[in-house]
Amino acid sequence: MNQLDWIVLITTLAGIMAYGIYKSRTTRNLDGYFLSNRSMPWWLVLLSIMGTQASAVTFLAAPGQAYTDGMRFVQYYFGLPLVAIVVCVTFIPVFTRLKLITAYEYLEKRFDTKTRTFTSSLFLIQRGLSTGISIFAPSIILSTLLDWNIYWTNLFMGGLLIIYTVSGGARAVAYTQQLQLVIIFAGMFIAGYYVVKHLPANVGFTDALEVGGKLGRMNVITTGFTEGKGFDWGDRYNIISGMIGGFFLLLSYFGADQSQVGRYLTARSMTESRIGVLMNGIVKVPMQFLILLVGILVFTFYQFNKAPAFFNQKELTRLEQSPHRQELVLLQERQQVIQEQKKAVLTEYGVSQSEASIAQLRVLQGSSDSVRKAVQSLVKKNGGDDNDTNYIFLRFVIDYLPVGLVGLLIAIIFLASWGSIAAALNSLASSTVIDFHKRFSRKEASEEYDYKISKWYTLAWGLFCMSVAMFASNIGNSLIEAVNLLGSLFYGTILGVFLVAFYCKSVKGTAVFAGAIVAELLVVLLFMLNEYGVIGLGFLWLNAIGALAVVGFSYVAKLVWKN
Amino acid sequence: MKPDEKDKIPLFKTWRQWYIFVVLVLLVQIIIFYWITEYFA
Repeated sequence: MNQLDWIVLITTLAGIMAYGIYKSRTTRNLDGYFLSNRSMPWWLVLLSIMGTQASAVTFLAAPGQAYTDGMRFVQYYFGLPLVAIVVCVTFIPVFTRLKLITAYEYLEKRFDTKTRTFTSSLFLIQRGLSTGISIFAPSIILSTLLDWNIYWTNLFMGGLLIIYTVSGGARAVAYTQQLQLVIIFAGMFIAGYYVVKHLPANVGFTDALEVGGKLGRMNVITTGFTEGKGFDWGDRYNIISGMIGGFFLLLSYFGADQSQVGRYLTARSMTESRIGVLMNGIVKVPMQFLILLVGILVFTFYQFNKAPAFFNQKELTRLEQSPHRQELVLLQERQQVIQEQKKAVLTEYGVSQSEASIAQLRVLQGSSDSVRKAVQSLVKKNGGDDNDTNYIFLRFVIDYLPVGLVGLLIAIIFLASWGSIAAALNSLASSTVIDFHKRFSRKEASEEYDYKISKWYTLAWGLFCMSVAMFASNIGNSLIEAVNLLGSLFYGTILGVFLVAFYCKSVKGTAVFAGAIVAELLVVLLFMLNEYGVIGLGFLWLNAIGALAVVGFSYVAKLVWKN
Repeated sequence: MKPDEKDKIPLFKTWRQWYIFVVLVLLVQIIIFYWITEYFA
């Protein structure tokens, strides 16, 4: 990185830190620290929800996803507007009227202590580990691309934000997220502009989309049905899995995950809370669409320019020094030939717009994809990480963006990370204080004591998450997969407990507790069957099955108890 | 937090109208996306 990039990066990060500390003044009690005295306007709630949901990997993975698989990933968010409605109708009125700080408090009022403690524990385990991973995941990408020390990168990614999160609680989190999002959107817009600018002189924005479309990347809507085979249950992103599977996953996130519940409970009224959540339902899909579109532009850019056979340069260098070197050289030569042929066909297509050129282009893209797959399998054989999706966009940024802008884009990765991590630390501390410390402590405590202990818990969770990130640095990417998996396995069950609480009035605590445990076992069983290839089930369906299984098994348990 | 009843709902008269609006926006987005898929295919 150039000196100017360093100046931009450090100034941006220091500015956000200073702003967070400046906005730290809050009432010294639990409501002030965890919910900013329930004083936020709807637009700040909206930005806080968006800042919490969008992690660093969102801005790295989404363009890469569009590059490799097309636009269809956007369908994953189609359930979100419907989720916003359900949250406004059911969750927000109950949580706000009862003046709750955590969602899990409601489970004790509705069921019993064990159900509350069980659900809150699942949240703490899952969120604590995944926050550690959301520090490590972008750090490993940056340290690989820029040759930074992974431990120092972790420290900057997850350590600095602890200062303002501890001192200012929910208020500092919301205000910094607002500023972070403005910088992030501005940076992404400028990046998109520069990709178009780097295209050949006669290729404009719509031409770039046309090339992407002809090569199968503008597949925004897919049905999941294949001719003669019916619906593919293993297909991850299509309109049906997005609307149903995505609905259950996102309902779990917005209704039963304290990191989001804690955001909309900061609103100054139930109306402001509802408007914030509904507006998120409206703007999230187009926002995700635009981020993916940057990936399509990068894809088209690489049709006219030399694309690396594999975007993680470190793995490629390792491969070059391995016994697979000769195979790699052959594949790279093949890639080079395809690239030249593509360029010629694209020029021909620009003149003739003929169907024959399109057909030729598709064949060449098929060959190019095969070469990429072959390189990926070589990387795997060499013991490396064969997934380079997260490296695609940043590789382009580092190689082609002007000095200064590279620093800004790197800063965006940090800011996106800080926004979601800060909200997670605040929610982890609130659940620990409210659902465990205050719930099981017999000592009468003053407001000042509660405030101080909340700060200590925030700091402790910050240190815990940093430790997970450092630990992950030692054992590598397998931990990312394991933690992501843990989330998909728990989320459906947590949501199911809340669905029973809201909609199944006759079911009591012990029945739902038993139902949740059996449902969790079922989800784990289905996951194992899927892993061993006995069934083909996309991960989004596990949430829907888990949630509905809790409802079903709770009713069965209720009948068993009755008899 | 203030009781909801005292707050005026912005833009629409009832929450139901808000919910219908959100669903309509989603449907319009899906239609536009479908058109984009077909147009660039």
